[in-house]
Amino acid sequence: MTEETSPAIRVAHLVKSYRRMAPGAQFRTLKSALLQRSLTRGLHSDEVVSALRDISFEIPAGEAFGVIGGNGSGKSTLLKVVAGILQPSSGQVEVTGRVAALIELGAGFHPEISGRENVYINGAVLGLRREEIDRQYDAIVEFAGLEDFMEEPVKNYSSGMYVRLGFAVAIHTDPRILLVDEVLAVGDEAFAHRCVRRIEEFLETGRTLLFVSHSLDLVERLCDRVLWLEKGVPRGLGPPRRVIDAYRQAVAEEEGRAHSEAAQAVPVKREGDGEDLRWGSREAEIRAVRLLDEEGQEVFVFASGQAVTLEMEIWAPRELEDFTFGIAMTTPRGVECWGTNTDLAGYVGESLKGEATVRVECPSLRLGPGEYFLDVAVHSRDGAPYDYRKKALSFTVTSTTRGVGLYFPQHHWKISGGARLRRPSE
Amino acid sequence: MISVALRAVRFRGLLATLTQRELQARYRGSALGFLWSLVNPLLLTAVYSLVFGWILAPGRGNVPTEPYSVFLISGLFPWLWASTALLEGTVALATNSGLIRKAVFPVELPPLVSVFSGLVHFLFALPVLAVALVVGRGLGYPVGGWGALLLPLVILLQIPMLCGATLALAALNVLFKDVRDIVSNLITVLFFLAPIIYPLSTISQPLVVKIVRLNPFTPFTEAYQAVLFFGIAPSASLWIHMGAVSLVTWLAGAWIFERLRDTLVEMS
Repeated sequence: MTEETSPAIRVAHLVKSYRRMAPGAQFRTLKSALLQRSLTRGLHSDEVVSALRDISFEIPAGEAFGVIGGNGSGKSTLLKVVAGILQPSSGQVEVTGRVAALIELGAGFHPEISGRENVYINGAVLGLRREEIDRQYDAIVEFAGLEDFMEEPVKNYSSGMYVRLGFAVAIHTDPRILLVDEVLAVGDEAFAHRCVRRIEEFLETGRTLLFVSHSLDLVERLCDRVLWLEKGVPRGLGPPRRVIDAYRQAVAEEEGRAHSEAAQAVPVKREGDGEDLRWGSREAEIRAVRLLDEEGQEVFVFASGQAVTLEMEIWAPRELEDFTFGIAMTTPRGVECWGTNTDLAGYVGESLKGEATVRVECPSLRLGPGEYFLDVAVHSRDGAPYDYRKKALSFTVTSTTRGVGLYFPQHHWKISGGARLRRPSE
Repeated sequence: MISVALRAVRFRGLLATLTQRELQARYRGSALGFLWSLVNPLLLTAVYSLVFGWILAPGRGNVPTEPYSVFLISGLFPWLWASTALLEGTVALATNSGLIRKAVFPVELPPLVSVFSGLVHFLFALPVLAVALVVGRGLGYPVGGWGALLLPLVILLQIPMLCGATLALAALNVLFKDVRDIVSNLITVLFFLAPIIYPLSTISQPLVVKIVRLNPFTPFTEAYQAVLFFGIAPSASLWIHMGAVSLVTWLAGAWIFERLRDTLVEMS
């Protein structure tokens, strides 16, 4: 009864600060180390780094709660405080129910001894009694898929095998609350998939998950609510899609800004060679590139299918009669998604002089979700570049529908005959 | 101070498992395996017997320390337990930092594991001691006796002493990496300042006797020699001395550890 009414995890005004340590400048004397009691006391404020500042949230039993944020945002520290590994500097953390923390899989594995023995040790570290491990042993081995390797010393395992065994033990401790920090990123695709399935099953039985990850898709798939941390401060808390989109927007804006600044600064090269990002004779020049939404606001992130306008500002110091404007979109791996130019579209250049603005309006750009680069160029009709800018801009496409690939056409499922499916709940 | 003890008791299952891991891992892959825990002290005994029993020959004639090898091992084997526990315990938090930082794990266990795995090695070496005593008896020396029944009591008194010392040293070593080097040097000093390779009664200078008596391991060494080599019960003053050393070391060690506990996870 109490489990239903009280939250599984309650965090109130949590603050966690670390001392920044200069090597060798830890404590002046042994006496001060012992008498100071708390490390944070009696130190200058500039030596203290706040990993978490005033975090409050409650996770009701049965909820899957995600935490996202960049490196150094305090995600992992938060998880360690909830797990009880680190003590809060101030504020309260209450956890109700048996917790398993998957921070590092196979923590405490000893390389010299066998997988079987390590299962027992790791289980004991995670709080299982010997009989409990006896009972779960076969299930653990089967889940890890290591039936033939249990008598081998763990040092002979591949890193994937190591992680598989670690996850298998942790998930079989039958916790009420599971704390997961990024561990699914290791191991092969198939096993990661199995782990996610297992976590979903875990959630179906009404248990609680606190999930820290860089994998936004996975967070969106698993979690009911998401907390976005930045430098230890909460930036957003709410439904996954909203928070994740806001986070993506912020990240892409930062990246896009940094990228276009960097691209702006790329010097002109006469000939295109190697990894150069900009070349051409500069008889005409592309001074700025932007992506705009319907309201004319500059965007770096947009949903697949949204209307987007690409805008280029051109400058030609002397009049040109032979010219073509071109664009191309590529993935970070260099796959061309789409490219075209005014020549291919049938336009013939007549005169270009002074300032000009070129816009490509796409009423519905149906790229698949992911990151893309935009190349832009102005060149002569036979291809001699005046200004060719590779990766002039980066942008991110999000999608409300799931799927894989570069192209997300509008589509509907129609099923008839002997197949019956439940409609998607959303 | 009590909370450390309570936690050690609460996590005794894990403590046992980790001790077992330590023992299993140590000789895994070596041909002689666990026999090394016998071979090592025996080789050491052979060397010390040669140097101190034959070449330097201490107190021969006026003190009943014959046969010297048997006298030596009744103090040396417990000493090896103590010194390995201190050496390994000091770095125990550093070597287990993965566990401490990445798992919900009682921090006091790694130092204690060193004490108990050392104890197991000591217990495994006891049959060698027994054989030595029996052989000594057979050769007509007045060694061994009913006093040996008190051995468990001496061991029980030494456990809190070693636990307190390793807890403190391990915690301090996290903050000051120098502790490890200090300990390894200190152990050498303590070894020669304990009446292990010589009986206390052979020292003629009163100042040296005083210094040797200040060594916390001296009462334990004397007690082990009493119950094992002489086969008699240690004197009441020896019991009190051991009890006091054990209590003080435990209290001080646990106090230091408690004080530093919160910082250990972050810094180890």
